Amino acid sequence: MINGIALGQYFPGQSVMHKMDPRIKLINTFIFIIAVFIPQSWAGLLMVILFVLFSINCSKIPGKTILKSFKPIIPIILITSLINVFYTQSGTILWKWWIFTISTGGLNKAGFMAVRILCLIVGSSLMTYTTTPTALTDGMERVFSPLKVFHVHVHELAMMMTIALRFIPTLIEETDKIMSAQKARGADMESGGLSQRIKAFIPVLIPLFVSSFRRAYELATAMECRCYHGGEGRTRMKQLKMQGRDYSAIAVMTVFVGLLIASLFVVPPVL
Amino acid sequence: MIEAQHVSFEYRNPEEPPIVVLKDINLTIERGSFVALLGHNGCGKSTLAKHFNAMLLPTGGTVLVESMDTKEEEKAFDIRKTVGLVLQNPDNQLVSTIVEEDVAFGPENLGVPPQEIRQRVDDALKVVGMYEYKNSAPHKLSGGQKQRVAIAGILAMQPDCLVLDEPTAMLDPQGRKEVLDTIQDLNKNQGMTVVLITHYMEEAAKADRVVVMNDGEIWLDGTPKEVFSKVKELRSVELDVPQPTELCDRLRDAGISLPEGILTTEECIEALASRMEVRAE
Repeated sequence: MINGIALGQYFPGQSVMHKMDPRIKLINTFIFIIAVFIPQSWAGLLMVILFVLFSINCSKIPGKTILKSFKPIIPIILITSLINVFYTQSGTILWKWWIFTISTGGLNKAGFMAVRILCLIVGSSLMTYTTTPTALTDGMERVFSPLKVFHVHVHELAMMMTIALRFIPTLIEETDKIMSAQKARGADMESGGLSQRIKAFIPVLIPLFVSSFRRAYELATAMECRCYHGGEGRTRMKQLKMQGRDYSAIAVMTVFVGLLIASLFVVPPVL
Repeated sequence: MIEAQHVSFEYRNPEEPPIVVLKDINLTIERGSFVALLGHNGCGKSTLAKHFNAMLLPTGGTVLVESMDTKEEEKAFDIRKTVGLVLQNPDNQLVSTIVEEDVAFGPENLGVPPQEIRQRVDDALKVVGMYEYKNSAPHKLSGGQKQRVAIAGILAMQPDCLVLDEPTAMLDPQGRKEVLDTIQDLNKNQGMTVVLITHYMEEAAKADRVVVMNDGEIWLDGTPKEVFSKVKELRSVELDVPQPTELCDRLRDAGISLPEGILTTEECIEALASRMEVRAE
């Protein structure tokens, strides 16, 4: 039952985007998230759409998967669109009832916002689609390593994330086992109301907690046996090296942001 | 290699009387030897193992690893680099989500240069026969495979001695065989000093030397043949002997004279066959 849970959203592949340095992917995604809010005209937004399509093409992620990722954000888009439709009153009024008015300006803005959010979600989820959680953690550790100056324990945070990722499947397996054991002794976990079901979960959670603490203790011993002493003086087997594709990714991103800013001056804002 | 001199250890509680785990242990582990440490649950064998790499410090006496005293804090690093400890549960020893990165964890902590880590990781994985799984996720491996990865993780630190604390206790017979074969190979072909803590007699019989512990003390010490010939003594500390040894002992009790020190099925068959030949004549 719990086996169906996928870890992260990683979608295995061999595309350029998959092979890209995780640091560059992280930085580019961060820039992209900001860049999506630059354009104020449909022309600018069209460039964002084209950029997202280009990125999807680079990642070789099937369109179906991308469409599926829309599902959870549909309510958000609907709500923001509705608010925008009724909130903005400009242009010709198309429909009016009590305090609700729909105007061309409102529709225009709502559409603009919806497309913008879609681009934002698709663009940023491409990163998690093409990067394994391990590579992501590794990339984060390195991108944020300058923060060490401010006494942020970057390595320790990354280590915790790695261990958490490592133990998710183990703990899921354990939960399954405990649930089977409790069911074998007559525990009923599938019927009853919500509060009853939550209560039925307590005999699963307590042994799970106890065993997690035991595991944590043993893991700490094992790590100490392997000379772990924090991030200081540690080397890494896998060195991240910037390659041609990483430099081109930076170049493409720079051009993209430049064009977006230029569009602000060339095309008048629609809103 | 490892020298324990009058080692004692107790857990001290402020209000209760101390719990004595080890009492005046004297033990020397020779370089290149394969020592099995046997004992009933709670006899202190795991506690002793943790003394070998300075995870625990003796409350009395000294433990010397390559003449380094485990009490010196600044030597702890070198000691753990020399004596690698593999624990019982393979699941709780693996740190990373990818096999090869897990094996790299030890050398990374030691600050080994990247290219050399790569080399060490590949070598260690080949020695334990897990090279083709280097990009797998640990949770997809079987128990025996996970334990072999854990051993590789220690080997990549290039220790001189491997201490294994019941490495096969949580494994199925297949996994147990895999791990034991790996350990034997390391000892015979790589010259690794091995201390195997176990409560399986069949595993202990494969060692050069068997040390039996009981209630925090060393009870018996000798070659497998010497130790397992003392069937009655072993029984008295609730330990079994290998099945062939037990069979021969019972036959001896029934008045059939058989040589002492039979450990394997083959030896047992041979002894019985020669016995029958004598009769036939």
